[in-house]
Amino acid sequence: MLVAGIAICGIACTKNFESYNRNTNGISSDQLAADYNIGSFFNNIQASVFKDRGNYQITQNLNADCFAGYMMSADPFNPSVNNLNYNMTDRWNATAFSSTYTNVTGTVYNLGLQNLRSTNPDFWAIALILDVVQMDRTTDKFGPLPYSKVGTDLLYTPYDSQKDIYNLFFLRLDTAVSNLKTFIAAHPGTTPFKKFDQMYAGDYTKWLKLANSVRLRLAMHIVKVDPVTAQAQAQTALADAGGVLTLPGETATIAANSTGNPLYGITVNYANDISMGAAAESYLKGFKDPRLPKYFLPATDPSAAGQYKGIRMGLQLTSKSVYQNFSQVNYQTSFTVSAPMILMTAAEVWFLKAEAALRGWSGAGNAQTDYETGINTSLAQWGVASAGYITDSTSVPSDYVDPKNTANNISAASSVTIKWNASATNEQLLEKIVTQKWIAMFPEGQEAWTEYRRTGYPKLFPVVVNNSNGTISTQIQVRRIAYPVNEYNTNGAELTKGIQLLNGPDNGGTRLWWDVDKANF
Amino acid sequence: MTIKSKQKSVHWELNRLRLISKLSLLVLTAPALTYANPGGETKVPAKYRQLKDGTITGVVTDEGQKPLAGVTITVAGSKKSVVTGEGGHFKIDGVKEGDVIEISSVGFKSTTLKVASGQTQYSITLSRAVSTLNDVVVTALGVKRSAKSLTYSTDIVAGESVNRVKTDNLMNALTGKVAGLTISQNSSGLGGSVKVTLRGSKSASGSNQPLYVIDGVPMLNTANANGYVNTLGTNGVVADGGDGISNLNPDDIESMTVLKGASAAALYGSQAENGVIIITTKKGKAGKAQINFSSSFMVSKVYDLPKFQTTYGQTSAGSPQSWGSKIDTAYNSDYTGMFFQTGHNLTNAINMSWGSENVQTYFSYANTSANGVIPQNTLGRNNVTLREVAKFLKNKLTLDGSASYISQKTNNALISNGSYNPLASVYQVPRGLNLGYYKDNYQVPSAARNGLLVQNWALPVGNTAFQNPWWMLNKMTNVSQRNRFLVTVSANYEASKWLNLQARANIDRTADNYQNNLWAGTFTTISAASGQFVANTSTVQQSYADFIANAKLFTKGKFKLNALAGASITDGRQQGYTIGSNQPGLGLFIPNVFTVQNMIVTNANNAVAVSSNVSSLPENHSQTQSIFASADASYADWLFLTVTGRNDWSSNLSYTPNGSYFYPSVGLSAVLNQALNLPHFVSYAKVRGSFAEVGNAVPLYVTHPLNNLGANGGVTFPSVAPFPQLKPEMAKSIEVGTDWKFFNNRLAFDFTWYKNNTTHQFFQITTSPTNGYGSGYVNAGNIQNSGVEMTLSGDVVRHSKFVWNTSINYARNKNKVLDVASDMGVNQFLITAPTGIAFETAVTKGGQYGDMYGQKIATDAQGRTMLGPTGLPILVSGYYYMGNINPTWQGGWSNSFTYKNFALNVLVDGRFGGQVYSQLQASLDNNGVSKASGDARDAGGLKINGVDTGGKSVSIIDPFKWYSIASQTNQYIYSATAVRLREVTLGYTVPLKSSVISALRISLIGRNLLFFYKKAPQDPETVATSGNGLSGWQTFNMPSQRNYGISAN
Repeated sequence: MLVAGIAICGIACTKNFESYNRNTNGISSDQLAADYNIGSFFNNIQASVFKDRGNYQITQNLNADCFAGYMMSADPFNPSVNNLNYNMTDRWNATAFSSTYTNVTGTVYNLGLQNLRSTNPDFWAIALILDVVQMDRTTDKFGPLPYSKVGTDLLYTPYDSQKDIYNLFFLRLDTAVSNLKTFIAAHPGTTPFKKFDQMYAGDYTKWLKLANSVRLRLAMHIVKVDPVTAQAQAQTALADAGGVLTLPGETATIAANSTGNPLYGITVNYANDISMGAAAESYLKGFKDPRLPKYFLPATDPSAAGQYKGIRMGLQLTSKSVYQNFSQVNYQTSFTVSAPMILMTAAEVWFLKAEAALRGWSGAGNAQTDYETGINTSLAQWGVASAGYITDSTSVPSDYVDPKNTANNISAASSVTIKWNASATNEQLLEKIVTQKWIAMFPEGQEAWTEYRRTGYPKLFPVVVNNSNGTISTQIQVRRIAYPVNEYNTNGAELTKGIQLLNGPDNGGTRLWWDVDKANF
Repeated sequence: MTIKSKQKSVHWELNRLRLISKLSLLVLTAPALTYANPGGETKVPAKYRQLKDGTITGVVTDEGQKPLAGVTITVAGSKKSVVTGEGGHFKIDGVKEGDVIEISSVGFKSTTLKVASGQTQYSITLSRAVSTLNDVVVTALGVKRSAKSLTYSTDIVAGESVNRVKTDNLMNALTGKVAGLTISQNSSGLGGSVKVTLRGSKSASGSNQPLYVIDGVPMLNTANANGYVNTLGTNGVVADGGDGISNLNPDDIESMTVLKGASAAALYGSQAENGVIIITTKKGKAGKAQINFSSSFMVSKVYDLPKFQTTYGQTSAGSPQSWGSKIDTAYNSDYTGMFFQTGHNLTNAINMSWGSENVQTYFSYANTSANGVIPQNTLGRNNVTLREVAKFLKNKLTLDGSASYISQKTNNALISNGSYNPLASVYQVPRGLNLGYYKDNYQVPSAARNGLLVQNWALPVGNTAFQNPWWMLNKMTNVSQRNRFLVTVSANYEASKWLNLQARANIDRTADNYQNNLWAGTFTTISAASGQFVANTSTVQQSYADFIANAKLFTKGKFKLNALAGASITDGRQQGYTIGSNQPGLGLFIPNVFTVQNMIVTNANNAVAVSSNVSSLPENHSQTQSIFASADASYADWLFLTVTGRNDWSSNLSYTPNGSYFYPSVGLSAVLNQALNLPHFVSYAKVRGSFAEVGNAVPLYVTHPLNNLGANGGVTFPSVAPFPQLKPEMAKSIEVGTDWKFFNNRLAFDFTWYKNNTTHQFFQITTSPTNGYGSGYVNAGNIQNSGVEMTLSGDVVRHSKFVWNTSINYARNKNKVLDVASDMGVNQFLITAPTGIAFETAVTKGGQYGDMYGQKIATDAQGRTMLGPTGLPILVSGYYYMGNINPTWQGGWSNSFTYKNFALNVLVDGRFGGQVYSQLQASLDNNGVSKASGDARDAGGLKINGVDTGGKSVSIIDPFKWYSIASQTNQYIYSATAVRLREVTLGYTVPLKSSVISALRISLIGRNLLFFYKKAPQDPETVATSGNGLSGWQTFNMPSQRNYGISAN
């Protein structure tokens, strides 16, 4: 009887089971329905572009920031055979791959499933802009990637060619721009996204400018491989009524992450794990650039005390103590713990326009004006306005001297000057434009590395030691990052097809789709 | 005393005088039963001829001459049965010459004797049993069954065996004593948890540890004294505070029964999928008050430490490596000697038992105080237990109540993460540094901080630099405190001759506090400059209740049918908070004040987005409701059939269409010596077979993943792809076996073959992140464990003064992954992805559970190592199979020698086959501190068979170059075979004629004394984690320790 009673209860008494099996720390989508709280998901999306110091270090700082010549680490990162001397460090690079999907693209896919595109089309526009920005940063590291089919299957996610990825970028930006314009027109001045916005305090007009600027940037990436699309997209961006970023105050920045500004953290918390690169020293010192003290601190090492001193890329280090007191990024006044991370400067847009003008695209204006406005916008951004800088026709990049080891000394890679020269060739002018863009977009090494690969500018010092076992050319330098081993294990069949789309072996020497080995003009 | 007898029996007279219950020993001097007849016929003197029965008395002791209480003395073929009391004495009347007396006790080999003419006093020595097949065995749900009726194999370990050598976790004492039981020690030092597996790992992502049951009630073993479950990863920055089983007082244990197969465990339900360890605790005994006191003092010393070079110094100032020039070797080379200390463990335990026929009381108290071999690592534990058993209603109703309280405090358990682990530092510190100076001056006033005492160290802050080990000991401290209550009440009512009703309820409540303080001056890679701390509090409570009706349904001729039916409910939940962070966080307002109000929890001032420093633990509420039934049929007391069934409803399966699951078991056994005419040297012969299914629910919350709250109120989607169609896991197991005893039980042998298949496995797999999650759940797989277990034991010498008993156990388990998810086209799932370490574990079709994969160095067609342009060996992309931790077979050989008052026990055990991966050795080589790296430099380089890019042969390589690549590869896989002298005890029973002390035994004890064989750099039994993931991966674990000491009881 009793047993039977309990048996009945065994069925009836399970009605509370669902409440027991609900994680009390979890938040259901119902709880986020009101008060625009669906925007809570954007916190992590924005924060994940650069991530915290630990992740930033391995996803960007120890690859793109160094490959772009901005920086170099004094840390041998035991065993001193790693990305920085072209022996690809899988466990670093794997994070650059996975973080994009788990934090940004996967989240945007899930927001799509929650019908955000129709419930909050303005939020959806921002989701798409951030998704494009982050996926661009990732595809420009690896090449073909899963994009259009992300989230559709647990075990098999197909790869898209980089061409398809870029085309999808432009389509997504179309939607984003259209949604934002519609919303701004219907609800002028309202800022429902403000509470979640780590970039523009909910100002959709600035998001619209960012969307157009990103379109211009992406268009320029593909100019060598698909000049028709490049020109069309660039002209669309330049013609859009929403405009592009033009003023120093419009620079797109993302609030420092949970552990503070990552460059600050890598320098202070990781005890000078990153230092000035030799190339940065060569250009900034040679140009007597007023931004130099904003970007870096003088070395404290006795061999170079008081000077700005960078480290040659690709050293095979034995001990961190040798170079760790060379110049650090300026964590004291510029890259402080609370300083936001720079995603896209207005100056960069001026330089993009300058190149567009050089290429004769409509809406780009005058190349020299764009170039000089770009420089001045950057100087203003850093509060070091200088009338004489753009007229300097004599300063050239300086030779590099390693006070610890003369074997690392090297002559300047370029003799480019600052002042515009109307009689110079397009190629010479492009070097000026991209070199100045490189200085202006510091410390955003991801885009700087992309533009270096596309244009060959600024000319950078080769690595001292090349541990790539012949897969990466010391002269042409590293062109991409290899796919993570984990991807071979978990999505191997699709990756194999992806590598076919890459059109070359999966190593750091293979050029990406837009990285065409031919002249810039 | 004179009793006037009028031709009645002495017993009758005593009974008449109400004296019998007051006597525990009666020595008869009358010639009543002493007579002899040369013709062999019994002739009772005429005077006593009408007295058919006599009385015999005796004393039962163990091999060490220690009196045994609670031994059952039965006259075969009659209902006469008594139990020995205090001092092992018994008296049984109504015995006649030729009667067979059976003497049995749980944990001992039963024996018989024949009442001889003229002998009224008997001294009986019971020898410890490896398996006590004639005995009563406690089976699932606390049901007692005769061993011969069991259809599966069981192993019984007597409490004495667990107690012989005290360790800080009592499970360690079972190592080598039970066939098929594998125990791996966690690496965190005193009070750490253990990984126990029975017949191999079965579940890919669920627990592989057995269920612990105390007096019929399942015990909580999941929580750790730090509030975290017991699965530390590579970068575990939380100390292991010990599992539930480690808290118990070994002295309270009467016996432990190990149920290895699913058949044995089927009645317990899903928790028992991995086998059950049943613990029967002591209770009070009727008779005179009895007090037992035992004390043991053990010391521990490290041995088998890594071997270091003492020739080459630091690479350059500030470098964490030792690839520098030669140094003065006499100078401070013994870094480890400077670091370790002699540990000790003092355990004092007292228990008291007294009572009448109707009410018995048991009380015990134990105190453990231990210092680890690493300074500052201490453990203190107090256990108090009170148990009352009372009978009411003419002995029909028995109430049994027991309450235990445990308090435990562990200081500075070893944290495996390199930044927190002083061993990583002390082993790898560059050779030639004046470590003595840094030991004495680990902190110095900082001028920059106005005299604040900060770390003093030769190496700079950095990702790979090691901190001052003495700073780590003294200024990076952790403490785990646990308070635990266990209260059990049960009522048992004999409703009628055929029906017995039982109800039980239990609450097991564990409250834990954990705090990890990092003082200002700790490297800023892990701590804020002002210091920081993480504290958490957690209360885990499991409530259990069951009701069981046990019926003797009918007896018809030789047929008997008994049945059992019942229902149970198990409800567990957790509550608690975590304050602070293991990440370098915002720090403290005032340095080194580790209070919550001094913690910076948010930082609104500098506009940095922050995660909240305060979080609640998930409630983890899980409930299982069950009904179960079993039927036992027997024929002629030699053929037994058992059928069981159980249905579980688990709250963890809510939100799925599969809320409940049923699983049956069936078993058959036959006692051949009772059915057939076997040669008379066969005393016992049994064959058995059983089949069972056991289901297992999925973990909490996985069927209903929710969004997570992150930094600054941000929300993220679940990190694992949702899978609402999850099904419960199902394990099917089949086992057959046979048990034999020969030569009057002098030789015993048993053998079991089993096969276990776990299907519908719940996997949490690492997927490509391109699905948006990076991990997912699947129901798939078929993991098979099959193997054999054998035990052979016997009395080699059985002499009145000298007894030598030997016992050998052998177990072989073959683990095979028959399928992963072929229907999805998947043949491999990762258990541990290679993030942060160049190592992965995976489940691969055709492989074994937990196969280890690593990187390898490229070789050319001729097998030569390929070197790149800079002379570095070339690493091949990808991960390749290296080995598996699972031993091919394991065995134990125990011997006990008894000579007069001396008893010597020796246990040797070994595990054969399997591999471990030594991250430790890889790091030591890479950092140039290992002896191998020094020897290589002395020899002018490492000999290799290599080839450079130009195709030229290379025979010598710079060890620095070699190790910098090789240390990330499969070069560091080692055989896990090890044979060791596990336990030695030499006991002496002091002959006493005291009225106060009834027995005193003094023993010299030793544990883990030496390895007879070992190839791996560290004890292969030590694992980085007691979770599933990193099996076989060894890092900077606690080194091997040799324990020895003295005990008295």
